[in-house]
Amino acid sequence: MSRALCESPIAATVRTGLFFSLCAALGPCVQAQHMDGATGAEWPHYGGTQSAWRYSALDQINRGNVHELAPAWIFQTGEDADAFQATPIVVDGILYVSTNHGQVFAVDAATGDPIWHYRYPPPDPNAASFILTRPQNRGVAVSEGRVFLGTYDNHVVAIDASTGLELWKVNVDNTRQCGCLISGAPLIAEDKVIVGGTGGDGAHRGYLTAFDTATGRLAWRFYIVPGPGEPGNETWKGDSWKHGGGAAWMTGSFDPELRLVYWGTGNAASDFYSGDRVREGADLDGPVNLYTASVVALEVDTGELRWYYQEIPNDVWDYDSAYEVVLFDRMVDGESRKLLLHMNKSGLTFVLDRVTGELINVFSVAEEQTWISGFTEDGRLLGRREPREGESINVCPSGLVGAKSWNQMAYSPRTGLIYTPTIEICMDVTARQQEPIEGRFFAGGSASVNLPPGREMISHLDAYDPLTGERKWTLPYRYVLVSSILATAGDLVFTGDPEGFFFALDADTGEELWRFQTGAGLRSSSVTYQIEGRQFVAVPSGWGSVIGPMTASLFPGEGEKWRHGSALVVFALPEASH
Amino acid sequence: MRNVLALVTVWLAIPGAPGQAQDLQEILDQGEQTFLVTCATGYCHAAGGALGGGASRLAGRGFDQDYIRRATLRGLTGTAMPGFGEVLSTEEINAVVAYVAVLNDIANPSVGDMVLEGTAPAASELSDEAVEGRALFHESVRGFTRCATCHRVAGSGVPAANPMLNVPADAAALRAMATLDSVSTATVGRESMPALLVSAGASRTMFYDFTSPPPVLRTVDNDDVSLEPGNPWRHDQVLGTYSDPELERILEYLRAVVQIN
Repeated sequence: MSRALCESPIAATVRTGLFFSLCAALGPCVQAQHMDGATGAEWPHYGGTQSAWRYSALDQINRGNVHELAPAWIFQTGEDADAFQATPIVVDGILYVSTNHGQVFAVDAATGDPIWHYRYPPPDPNAASFILTRPQNRGVAVSEGRVFLGTYDNHVVAIDASTGLELWKVNVDNTRQCGCLISGAPLIAEDKVIVGGTGGDGAHRGYLTAFDTATGRLAWRFYIVPGPGEPGNETWKGDSWKHGGGAAWMTGSFDPELRLVYWGTGNAASDFYSGDRVREGADLDGPVNLYTASVVALEVDTGELRWYYQEIPNDVWDYDSAYEVVLFDRMVDGESRKLLLHMNKSGLTFVLDRVTGELINVFSVAEEQTWISGFTEDGRLLGRREPREGESINVCPSGLVGAKSWNQMAYSPRTGLIYTPTIEICMDVTARQQEPIEGRFFAGGSASVNLPPGREMISHLDAYDPLTGERKWTLPYRYVLVSSILATAGDLVFTGDPEGFFFALDADTGEELWRFQTGAGLRSSSVTYQIEGRQFVAVPSGWGSVIGPMTASLFPGEGEKWRHGSALVVFALPEASH
Repeated sequence: MRNVLALVTVWLAIPGAPGQAQDLQEILDQGEQTFLVTCATGYCHAAGGALGGGASRLAGRGFDQDYIRRATLRGLTGTAMPGFGEVLSTEEINAVVAYVAVLNDIANPSVGDMVLEGTAPAASELSDEAVEGRALFHESVRGFTRCATCHRVAGSGVPAANPMLNVPADAAALRAMATLDSVSTATVGRESMPALLVSAGASRTMFYDFTSPPPVLRTVDNDDVSLEPGNPWRHDQVLGTYSDPELERILEYLRAVVQIN
């Protein structure tokens, strides 16, 4: 935590939309915020730090020299991969990266030389369920000499960071029964390792589970759907809470000062048909099917709920509020506020006070927005166009792909902007009443994706003021941008595309400064770190995942060219030039 | 689709329902329903086998019915297509295969010669009490205090506990089960814990820590752990959420599974 150096406030009138961004003009004062969520020489957490900024204070590679950036080494995992999705973690000069099939590699972060290789056992064929055929893994967590892996069969494994040997392993759920797996990277919060899980489109009751990092023993479990007698259960009709969804399938954030864990929760199940889970006469402006489609703040010691903010009461579009939670501090009305920013698949982006959960602002990033006619300053949805039983309607954005996929945005304290990709894809959706069978799909209807008519550019990478939602620049792109954003103090923004290009933009203008063909489509999260004075930028390369072929099919003759792979490509400036 | 199929309506026998004839259209309707809730969620196939889902288009691909049946039952190696032989009932598989066949312009699909092995065991093989017992054994609302947290039965659950070699006669016997023979005391550092030894290698020891559910599989250097026989841990400690009548139903299920196996 650093003291604010600039006393000039960003004067903002909460919920009126009248924001006066003095710091945007003053520039340097934006850098002097309280929370420091920047990474330095290491990349210790999934989101860079536990604040999920995906921003590095390293500036050796900068907009003046990025054109010289060249591959330093490449590491091939050898896995016949369906997308290389991981965020590498770099601690003590070692880079740890995981694959979809539960392999973890530890390599020398300067040279790529292998140090150890952990291979999680292949699935027991007798225990295999449909979900095991497409395992996903988005990264490991590292803390105090242990590497933590969530597995495709719902285990959490602790691995010795120096030897690669297993230390402990614990089962979180019966995969075949819950229809779920752990694809997200675990979150470290003090002495706990916390995981969510998939299953939000199945008959499953979502939860977060925390284990002691040293022993693997259960610390707490927070059920996203409360049980009978617990506050919030009254927002469910009958027994629908038992299969109510809300799966928290991505990675949360942690504020060590407030000692609160923040997590985004998924859509209610069934996805598109809500007649069996929403009580008669429920007020859709109020909480419905808690705590789905929400951000929750939990006490790190107990998992107890401190506050929640529900973004989409009765989500019937699969807009999943499961994405990353960006913690940052800003002056609001002359007062320093601890804030968070959270976007769900609809593209609605919420700025909340992270102490209380109070709404500060809401804005939308999707240009194709037909699921609602609008929203009010206090976050109420207007003109909801809900899926109908037995009749297909078209809405934008698509709930399957989302206005943004799970790949993460970046926040730069240097520019005071967030950088985020938006995808303008729509869906045909039909609702259908469905009986839940635990662990089976429970979509309550069907959906398929399509492109909005007359639109050439399907994605855009944008820079926004995170408080006001004012767009500072935009960079259109023909296909889908589903790779995370990395921002650095070198005034650079890095990301990649399905055609295989990894590229760098000027953080102030969006102008492209450099690009490199990695050989396969990008569906991952790049990171940056420094070893013995040399800055590296690493990006896992390899197309795929669930929405990989889904979106490729929308571009016949073009999408087929997006190549699978599983290589970590690492860049640096030539040794003589830094 | 219905208009086309109206021309090919035939009467066919349904396996598992002897003597009951069913209109092909009814079977295809059932197949469509199964397809919609199992296959056409959007993340996998799109409704009607069309484009726009996460998986391939299925309609009009020229698939023959044997291929559709094999893929449905066993999945397709190297792809995300799983086998549904252990997920869907025979009737559901019959119907969904016929439905996808029609999507591939097979006007008069066969539904009567389904390969039956490998499909999910019918609930009718278990008594009502055993079916309840199976549900109780796995019941999610109990969180980590359900039986399946430590026991694997009929391919489901976590095999932390030793395989069941016999089934206690009643709830009282289950509660009173002696555990002295299997549960030891492991001491790691200064902490002792109830432990179930899994393996003792030349350099490392692997055991389940039974301190509290769920059990944790620990692997510790031999120099850092000592194991002593016996521990005060009792099975009754983890049966807290089950009543005796519920335990009786679980035992009924376990007896049935042993017979089936």
